[in-house]
Amino acid sequence: MTDTLGTPVQGVTLYSFTRAFHGREYDLEGLIRKVAAEGFGPGLEIIGFSSFRGFPKLEDDYVGWFRDLVAEVDLVPTSLAINGDWALRPQKLMTQDELIAYMTRQIEAAARLGFPIARVQISLTPDSMEQLLPVAEKYGVTLALEVHAHHHGRHEDILALRDRFAKLDSPLLGFTADWGATVKGFAPSLLEAYRRRGATEELLTAVSELWNQTYREGPPTTEAEHGKRFGAFIGLAHQHGRPDLGIDFAINGTGLFGPAPVDTWLEIAPFIRHCHGKFFGIDADGEEPSVPVRELIALLVSIGYNGAVSSEYEGWHWNYWESPFDIIRAEQAVQRSAAADAGSRMITDPAEARAVHSAHLARPVRG
Amino acid sequence: MIPDRIIEQGTLSTDGSRATVEVRLPWYRAIPGSCISEASLTVDGVRAPDESVRWTMNGRTFALADLVDEVEEWWFPTDSVELSGDIAVADAGAEHQVDVELKLYIPYIVTDHGVLRIEEHDTKTMKAATR
Repeated sequence: MTDTLGTPVQGVTLYSFTRAFHGREYDLEGLIRKVAAEGFGPGLEIIGFSSFRGFPKLEDDYVGWFRDLVAEVDLVPTSLAINGDWALRPQKLMTQDELIAYMTRQIEAAARLGFPIARVQISLTPDSMEQLLPVAEKYGVTLALEVHAHHHGRHEDILALRDRFAKLDSPLLGFTADWGATVKGFAPSLLEAYRRRGATEELLTAVSELWNQTYREGPPTTEAEHGKRFGAFIGLAHQHGRPDLGIDFAINGTGLFGPAPVDTWLEIAPFIRHCHGKFFGIDADGEEPSVPVRELIALLVSIGYNGAVSSEYEGWHWNYWESPFDIIRAEQAVQRSAAADAGSRMITDPAEARAVHSAHLARPVRG
Repeated sequence: MIPDRIIEQGTLSTDGSRATVEVRLPWYRAIPGSCISEASLTVDGVRAPDESVRWTMNGRTFALADLVDEVEEWWFPTDSVELSGDIAVADAGAEHQVDVELKLYIPYIVTDHGVLRIEEHDTKTMKAATR
């Protein structure tokens, strides 16, 4: 905890609108203009391989076009999500040197596009992060490794990364906290989607109960424990005569709805450089029924967090009957209300967001 | 992930001996040709022999076996590719059932069980255009 309350920067990742982009309802420019017009920013996060054709090889003209567009609509680029594609050739995994070169090209692309953060993933070990630090320094890009369910702030893999970051003591190495690690219930909209696929009420109750049991037991702290839980969800589907739903239950039950307590984020608090405000839906009362958005915002305010929160709507996978734009609008209202309840506010003014976000990223890990 | 969009409605075409359909990526981000593990095309229950299947992406046409090392051409999420194979479609103007099955590697997800490979399937009914 700190004496100074945090003022998180409101924002969104275009991943939330995957269904609209993939369905050709909006192209990249249209989506960016929509985000600005709706006031879903000022923070803007983009996945390189989703939105930029040819990524990470980008022509100067294209980069210029993108930067001009973002400047024109007054959004603030926060994080470019990049990927460690170890298995680019699935029959022959990359060597460590090849992976570092592959990540380097994407980090350079982040800098060219004007993103101060590159979101990286758990496939990067502490050694890889250490190897990439000079690259981060060269391009002035913060590497924020995503803590995503089934991992969480107290998982052994994350603690090993945290300890390495502490040793290296650079503001350019830290975490992206994905709220999907700290969920309190199986998303009702996903249960509704299973219902529409013919799952019985008995099976829906059973899968919720199995998830609630994992929640009571607490999150897995080892990979072995995680594997056991994954298998339990598959087994449940088989027991109920719906083996076709097994992998879906397991991936979502362990990989989307992480059961860690919200306070697990305190283990890595000084290293949180960015947040994915992962959520799955909004109920009739205007609240998120499975992700404790209010508690999460209160926690960020209490630790003095001034980074961005990219609202990341993931219910689009299964929810084809509601507008992602309406859902993002409602979720961001919850965030703003929660920040006010915590005695602070979300930053929504672009100029203020730029200043606060830059200062946040420049802040040393210690002190 | 959004498998119902794999087959583009109304894109089946035939020249009498080969059938072609346009196909969308059932994933949120681009993947290279090397990650296309398997693809099958079936019309009215007749599956095209694997060796006859061709994959046309970014203006280039590949046999499936030739995609294994293809890391220059990528399948972008908003692009259609053409999937074709030896299937004689009689009576183009009638309704035909088209089935496409895709098995795709996800290059950034490598677990103790190997590289994640997703399997997605779509079925749609449509008339065929003659070409």
